[in-house]
Amino acid sequence: MDKIKRKRERLEVIYDILKIIRHHHNSIKPTPLLRYSNLSSQSFSEYLTELLDKGFVKEIDDEKGKRFLTLTDKGFTYLDKYKLILGFIEEFEL
Amino acid sequence: MYTLSPLFLYRVNLNIRYMLIHPFDYSRLAVELGYTLIVVFFCFMIYIKTREIYDLTKYKGIQYFRITFLFFGLAYLFRFAFVLFLLIRATFDFYSLSFAFKFVPLILSGYFSTMAILSLTYSTIWKKVHLKHTLLISNAIAILISGIAIISVYPISLILSQALLLIFAMSYLIYTQYSQSRKISPLFVLYVMFFLFWIVNLFALGPKRFIPFEIQIIFQILSVILIGIIYYKVYKWTK
Repeated sequence: MDKIKRKRERLEVIYDILKIIRHHHNSIKPTPLLRYSNLSSQSFSEYLTELLDKGFVKEIDDEKGKRFLTLTDKGFTYLDKYKLILGFIEEFEL
Repeated sequence: MYTLSPLFLYRVNLNIRYMLIHPFDYSRLAVELGYTLIVVFFCFMIYIKTREIYDLTKYKGIQYFRITFLFFGLAYLFRFAFVLFLLIRATFDFYSLSFAFKFVPLILSGYFSTMAILSLTYSTIWKKVHLKHTLLISNAIAILISGIAIISVYPISLILSQALLLIFAMSYLIYTQYSQSRKISPLFVLYVMFFLFWIVNLFALGPKRFIPFEIQIIFQILSVILIGIIYYKVYKWTK
Protein backbone atom coordinates (compact mmCIF):
# COMPACT_ATOMS: atom_id res chain seq x y z
CA MET A 1 0.00 0.00 0.00
CA ASP A 2 1.57 3.30 -1.02
CA LYS A 3 1.70 6.41 1.09
CA ILE A 4 -1.04 8.35 -0.72
CA LYS A 5 -3.46 5.53 -0.12
CA ARG A 6 -2.65 5.50 3.58
CA LYS A 7 -2.82 9.29 3.79
CA ARG A 8 -6.13 9.49 1.99
CA GLU A 9 -7.47 6.83 4.25
CA ARG A 10 -6.17 8.73 7.23
CA LEU A 11 -8.13 11.85 6.31
CA GLU A 12 -11.12 9.65 5.56
CA VAL A 13 -10.87 7.73 8.84
CA ILE A 14 -10.79 11.00 10.78
CA TYR A 15 -13.84 12.12 8.82
CA ASP A 16 -15.66 8.86 9.57
CA ILE A 17 -14.92 9.00 13.31
CA LEU A 18 -16.09 12.61 13.55
CA LYS A 19 -19.20 11.79 11.51
CA ILE A 20 -20.10 8.94 13.86
CA ILE A 21 -19.85 11.27 16.87
CA ARG A 22 -22.03 13.87 15.17
CA HIS A 23 -24.52 11.21 14.12
CA HIS A 24 -24.92 10.21 17.80
CA HIS A 25 -26.08 13.68 18.83
CA ASN A 26 -22.51 14.75 19.39
CA SER A 27 -22.01 12.49 22.39
CA ILE A 28 -20.78 8.92 22.32
CA LYS A 29 -18.83 6.60 24.61
CA PRO A 30 -15.40 5.40 23.38
CA THR A 31 -16.42 1.70 23.20
CA PRO A 32 -19.35 2.08 20.75
CA LEU A 33 -17.28 4.57 18.79
CA LEU A 34 -14.56 1.94 18.42
CA ARG A 35 -17.16 -0.55 17.20
CA TYR A 36 -18.73 1.81 14.64
CA SER A 37 -15.40 3.03 13.35
CA ASN A 38 -14.31 -0.43 12.13
CA LEU A 39 -10.77 0.00 13.36
CA SER A 40 -8.53 -2.21 15.43
CA SER A 41 -8.35 -1.12 19.04
CA GLN A 42 -4.73 -0.07 18.57
CA SER A 43 -5.48 2.05 15.49
CA PHE A 44 -8.53 3.50 17.18
CA SER A 45 -6.48 4.43 20.21
CA GLU A 46 -3.91 6.19 17.99
CA TYR A 47 -6.58 8.09 16.07
CA LEU A 48 -8.40 9.05 19.25
CA THR A 49 -5.21 10.37 20.82
CA GLU A 50 -4.52 12.37 17.66
CA LEU A 51 -8.05 13.78 17.55
CA LEU A 52 -7.84 14.78 21.21
CA ASP A 53 -4.38 16.32 20.76
CA LYS A 54 -5.45 18.30 17.69
CA GLY A 55 -8.60 19.47 19.44
CA PHE A 56 -11.13 17.86 17.10
CA VAL A 57 -12.87 16.08 19.98
CA LYS A 58 -12.94 16.49 23.72
CA GLU A 59 -13.77 14.22 26.61
CA ILE A 60 -16.59 15.04 28.98
CA ASP A 61 -17.78 13.19 32.06
CA ASP A 62 -21.45 12.97 32.95
CA GLU A 63 -22.80 13.15 36.51
CA LYS A 64 -22.27 9.38 36.93
CA GLY A 65 -18.63 9.78 35.98
CA LYS A 66 -18.99 8.07 32.58
CA ARG A 67 -16.69 9.33 29.85
CA PHE A 68 -18.19 10.65 26.60
CA LEU A 69 -16.60 12.02 23.47
CA THR A 70 -17.93 15.14 21.85
CA LEU A 71 -16.95 17.26 18.84
CA THR A 72 -15.33 20.64 19.28
CA ASP A 73 -15.85 23.58 16.89
CA LYS A 74 -12.70 22.46 15.08
CA GLY A 75 -14.21 18.99 14.66
CA PHE A 76 -17.36 20.46 13.12
CA THR A 77 -15.24 22.64 10.85
CA TYR A 78 -13.35 19.56 9.64
CA LEU A 79 -16.63 17.83 8.79
CA ASP A 80 -17.88 20.89 6.94
CA LYS A 81 -14.65 21.36 5.01
CA TYR A 82 -13.84 17.71 4.29
CA LYS A 83 -15.22 17.69 0.74
CA LEU A 84 -13.41 20.94 -0.01
CA ILE A 85 -10.15 19.55 1.36
CA LEU A 86 -10.42 16.46 -0.84
CA GLY A 87 -11.32 18.64 -3.82
CA PHE A 88 -8.32 20.86 -3.19
CA ILE A 89 -5.93 17.89 -2.91
CA GLU A 90 -7.25 16.43 -6.16
CA GLU A 91 -7.27 19.77 -7.99
CA PHE A 92 -3.59 20.37 -7.23
CA GLU A 93 -2.58 16.71 -7.35
CA LEU A 94 -1.04 16.93 -3.90
CA MET B 1 35.59 70.06 6.33
CA TYR B 2 35.16 66.80 4.46
CA THR B 3 32.06 68.03 2.62
CA LEU B 4 34.01 70.87 1.06
CA SER B 5 37.07 68.84 0.18
CA PRO B 6 38.10 68.87 -3.50
CA LEU B 7 37.69 65.11 -3.73
CA PHE B 8 34.11 65.28 -2.46
CA LEU B 9 33.22 68.12 -4.84
CA TYR B 10 34.77 66.17 -7.68
CA ARG B 11 32.65 63.13 -6.84
CA VAL B 12 29.48 65.25 -6.63
CA ASN B 13 30.30 66.78 -9.98
CA LEU B 14 30.80 63.34 -11.48
CA ASN B 15 27.52 62.09 -10.03
CA ILE B 16 25.56 65.06 -11.42
CA ARG B 17 27.06 64.48 -14.86
CA TYR B 18 26.26 60.75 -14.58
CA MET B 19 22.67 61.53 -13.60
CA LEU B 20 22.23 63.82 -16.58
CA ILE B 21 23.47 61.10 -18.90
CA HIS B 22 21.46 58.33 -17.15
CA PRO B 23 18.10 59.78 -16.07
CA PHE B 24 16.11 57.69 -13.62
CA ASP B 25 13.97 55.14 -15.45
CA TYR B 26 10.59 55.81 -13.83
CA SER B 27 8.60 53.80 -16.36
CA ARG B 28 10.62 50.67 -15.67
CA LEU B 29 10.34 51.23 -11.92
CA ALA B 30 6.56 51.61 -12.21
CA VAL B 31 6.23 48.43 -14.29
CA GLU B 32 8.46 46.42 -11.94
CA LEU B 33 6.71 47.72 -8.83
CA GLY B 34 3.23 47.00 -10.20
CA TYR B 35 4.25 43.57 -11.40
CA THR B 36 5.92 42.68 -8.09
CA LEU B 37 2.98 43.91 -6.01
CA ILE B 38 0.46 41.86 -8.00
CA VAL B 39 2.50 38.64 -7.99
CA VAL B 40 3.46 38.97 -4.31
CA PHE B 41 -0.17 39.68 -3.40
CA PHE B 42 -1.36 36.51 -5.16
CA CYS B 43 1.47 34.40 -3.68
CA PHE B 44 0.82 35.55 -0.11
CA MET B 45 -2.93 35.20 -0.55
CA ILE B 46 -2.46 31.58 -1.66
CA TYR B 47 -0.35 30.99 1.47
CA ILE B 48 -2.94 32.63 3.74
CA LYS B 49 -5.97 31.03 2.08
CA THR B 50 -4.59 27.51 2.49
CA ARG B 51 -3.74 27.94 6.18
CA GLU B 52 -7.06 26.64 7.48
CA ILE B 53 -7.12 23.43 5.45
CA TYR B 54 -3.50 22.79 6.39
CA ASP B 55 -4.17 23.40 10.08
CA LEU B 56 -7.08 20.97 9.91
CA THR B 57 -5.26 18.17 8.11
CA LYS B 58 -1.49 18.69 8.54
CA TYR B 59 -1.35 17.13 5.09
CA LYS B 60 2.19 17.07 3.72
CA GLY B 61 1.22 17.91 0.13
CA ILE B 62 -0.66 21.01 1.26
CA GLN B 63 2.27 22.02 3.46
CA TYR B 64 4.72 21.93 0.54
CA PHE B 65 2.22 23.57 -1.79
CA ARG B 66 1.62 26.57 0.46
CA ILE B 67 5.27 27.18 1.37
CA THR B 68 6.02 27.19 -2.36
CA PHE B 69 4.03 30.38 -2.70
CA LEU B 70 5.45 31.90 0.46
CA PHE B 71 8.95 31.34 -0.95
CA PHE B 72 7.93 32.66 -4.34
CA GLY B 73 6.45 35.81 -2.84
CA LEU B 74 9.70 36.45 -0.97
CA ALA B 75 11.75 35.68 -4.09
CA TYR B 76 9.77 38.27 -6.07
CA LEU B 77 10.21 40.86 -3.30
CA PHE B 78 14.00 40.44 -3.29
CA ARG B 79 14.05 40.40 -7.09
CA PHE B 80 12.38 43.80 -6.97
CA ALA B 81 14.95 45.03 -4.43
CA PHE B 82 17.68 44.00 -6.87
CA VAL B 83 15.98 45.72 -9.82
CA LEU B 84 15.59 48.84 -7.68
CA PHE B 85 19.31 48.74 -6.95
CA LEU B 86 20.10 48.47 -10.67
CA LEU B 87 17.90 51.47 -11.44
CA ILE B 88 19.34 53.57 -8.62
CA ARG B 89 22.91 52.64 -9.45
CA ALA B 90 22.36 53.49 -13.10
CA THR B 91 21.38 56.99 -12.05
CA PHE B 92 23.24 57.77 -8.85
CA ASP B 93 26.44 55.76 -9.21
CA PHE B 94 26.55 54.40 -5.65
CA TYR B 95 29.40 51.94 -5.90
CA SER B 96 30.21 51.88 -2.20
CA LEU B 97 26.78 50.42 -1.36
CA SER B 98 27.09 47.70 -3.96
CA PHE B 99 27.43 44.64 -1.80
CA ALA B 100 24.55 45.21 0.60
CA PHE B 101 22.15 46.45 -2.03
CA LYS B 102 23.13 44.21 -4.88
CA PHE B 103 24.19 40.85 -3.57
CA VAL B 104 21.96 40.40 -0.54
CA PRO B 105 18.72 40.69 -2.60
CA LEU B 106 20.24 38.54 -5.35
CA ILE B 107 21.31 35.83 -2.91
CA LEU B 108 17.95 35.82 -1.12
CA SER B 109 16.01 35.87 -4.39
CA GLY B 110 18.04 32.89 -5.61
CA TYR B 111 17.57 31.03 -2.33
CA PHE B 112 13.81 31.55 -2.05
CA SER B 113 13.04 30.83 -5.70
CA THR B 114 15.08 27.62 -5.59
CA MET B 115 13.22 26.56 -2.45
CA ALA B 116 9.94 27.35 -4.24
CA ILE B 117 10.83 25.20 -7.27
CA LEU B 118 11.86 22.30 -5.02
CA SER B 119 8.84 22.60 -2.72
CA LEU B 120 6.35 22.61 -5.58
CA THR B 121 8.07 19.65 -7.19
CA TYR B 122 8.04 17.74 -3.93
CA SER B 123 4.38 18.61 -3.23
CA THR B 124 3.36 16.59 -6.27
CA ILE B 125 5.78 13.65 -5.93
CA TRP B 126 5.94 13.05 -2.16
CA LYS B 127 3.35 10.29 -2.45
CA LYS B 128 5.39 8.39 -5.02
CA VAL B 129 8.92 9.19 -3.93
CA HIS B 130 9.82 8.79 -0.30
CA LEU B 131 12.80 11.06 0.15
CA LYS B 132 14.38 11.53 3.54
CA HIS B 133 15.58 14.87 4.91
CA THR B 134 13.83 16.79 2.14
CA LEU B 135 14.06 20.11 3.96
CA LEU B 136 17.78 19.66 4.56
CA ILE B 137 18.46 18.64 0.94
CA SER B 138 16.33 21.49 -0.44
CA ASN B 139 18.17 24.00 1.74
CA ALA B 140 21.53 22.62 0.66
CA ILE B 141 20.61 22.94 -3.04
CA ALA B 142 19.18 26.45 -2.51
CA ILE B 143 22.30 27.59 -0.64
CA LEU B 144 24.51 26.06 -3.34
CA ILE B 145 22.67 27.92 -6.10
CA SER B 146 22.74 31.18 -4.14
CA GLY B 147 26.45 30.56 -3.56
CA ILE B 148 27.02 30.25 -7.29
CA ALA B 149 25.36 33.66 -7.72
CA ILE B 150 27.75 35.20 -5.15
CA ILE B 151 30.93 33.59 -6.45
CA SER B 152 30.28 34.40 -10.09
CA VAL B 153 29.03 37.93 -9.24
CA TYR B 154 26.64 38.04 -12.23
CA PRO B 155 22.95 37.06 -12.16
CA ILE B 156 23.43 35.03 -15.34
CA SER B 157 24.92 32.20 -13.24
CA LEU B 158 21.80 32.21 -11.09
CA ILE B 159 19.64 32.10 -14.23
CA LEU B 160 21.61 29.19 -15.71
CA SER B 161 21.72 27.15 -12.50
CA GLN B 162 17.99 27.65 -11.90
CA ALA B 163 17.23 26.76 -15.51
CA LEU B 164 19.21 23.54 -15.05
CA LEU B 165 17.37 22.79 -11.81
CA LEU B 166 14.05 23.46 -13.51
CA ILE B 167 14.90 21.16 -16.42
CA PHE B 168 15.90 18.43 -13.97
CA ALA B 169 12.83 18.89 -11.75
CA MET B 170 10.41 19.01 -14.67
CA SER B 171 11.98 15.98 -16.37
CA TYR B 172 11.59 14.08 -13.13
CA LEU B 173 7.96 15.21 -12.80
CA ILE B 174 7.20 14.21 -16.40
CA TYR B 175 8.79 10.84 -15.79
CA THR B 176 6.85 10.13 -12.55
CA GLN B 177 3.57 11.49 -13.90
CA TYR B 178 3.72 9.93 -17.34
CA SER B 179 4.87 6.55 -16.07
CA GLN B 180 1.77 6.37 -13.85
CA SER B 181 -1.06 7.93 -15.84
CA ARG B 182 0.32 8.11 -19.41
CA LYS B 183 -0.73 11.75 -19.65
CA ILE B 184 0.48 15.19 -18.63
CA SER B 185 -2.02 17.19 -16.59
CA PRO B 186 -2.89 20.83 -17.47
CA LEU B 187 -1.80 21.80 -13.94
CA PHE B 188 1.69 20.52 -14.65
CA VAL B 189 1.84 22.69 -17.81
CA LEU B 190 0.71 25.67 -15.70
CA TYR B 191 3.50 25.12 -13.18
CA VAL B 192 6.16 24.70 -15.86
CA MET B 193 5.08 27.90 -17.61
CA PHE B 194 5.04 29.84 -14.34
CA PHE B 195 8.59 28.73 -13.52
CA LEU B 196 9.76 29.40 -17.09
CA PHE B 197 8.44 32.95 -16.90
CA TRP B 198 10.21 33.39 -13.57
CA ILE B 199 13.49 32.48 -15.26
CA VAL B 200 12.72 34.77 -18.21
CA ASN B 201 12.06 37.56 -15.70
CA LEU B 202 15.44 36.92 -14.14
CA PHE B 203 16.98 38.09 -17.40
CA ALA B 204 15.93 41.59 -16.37
CA LEU B 205 18.60 41.35 -13.67
CA GLY B 206 21.44 40.94 -16.14
CA PRO B 207 24.15 43.58 -16.59
CA LYS B 208 22.78 44.28 -20.06
CA ARG B 209 19.31 43.75 -21.41
CA PHE B 210 19.07 40.20 -22.74
CA ILE B 211 15.54 40.79 -23.95
CA PRO B 212 13.86 44.09 -24.88
CA PHE B 213 11.78 45.80 -22.20
CA GLU B 214 8.56 45.45 -24.25
CA ILE B 215 9.02 41.68 -24.60
CA GLN B 216 9.72 41.44 -20.89
CA ILE B 217 6.42 43.21 -20.14
CA ILE B 218 4.59 40.58 -22.20
CA PHE B 219 6.17 37.82 -20.12
CA GLN B 220 5.28 39.69 -16.95
CA ILE B 221 1.64 39.98 -18.03
CA LEU B 222 1.60 36.26 -18.80
CA SER B 223 3.10 35.51 -15.36
CA VAL B 224 0.38 37.60 -13.71
CA ILE B 225 -2.30 35.70 -15.66
CA LEU B 226 -0.79 32.35 -14.61
CA ILE B 227 -0.52 33.21 -10.91
CA GLY B 228 -4.05 34.64 -11.16
CA ILE B 229 -5.31 31.29 -12.50
CA ILE B 230 -3.54 29.40 -9.69
CA TYR B 231 -4.99 31.80 -7.12
CA TYR B 232 -8.48 31.42 -8.59
CA LYS B 233 -8.19 27.63 -8.35
CA VAL B 234 -7.14 27.95 -4.69
CA TYR B 235 -9.87 30.48 -3.95
CA LYS B 236 -12.51 28.15 -5.43
CA TRP B 237 -11.77 25.52 -2.76
CA THR B 238 -11.00 27.77 0.17
CA LYS B 239 -13.56 30.62 -0.03
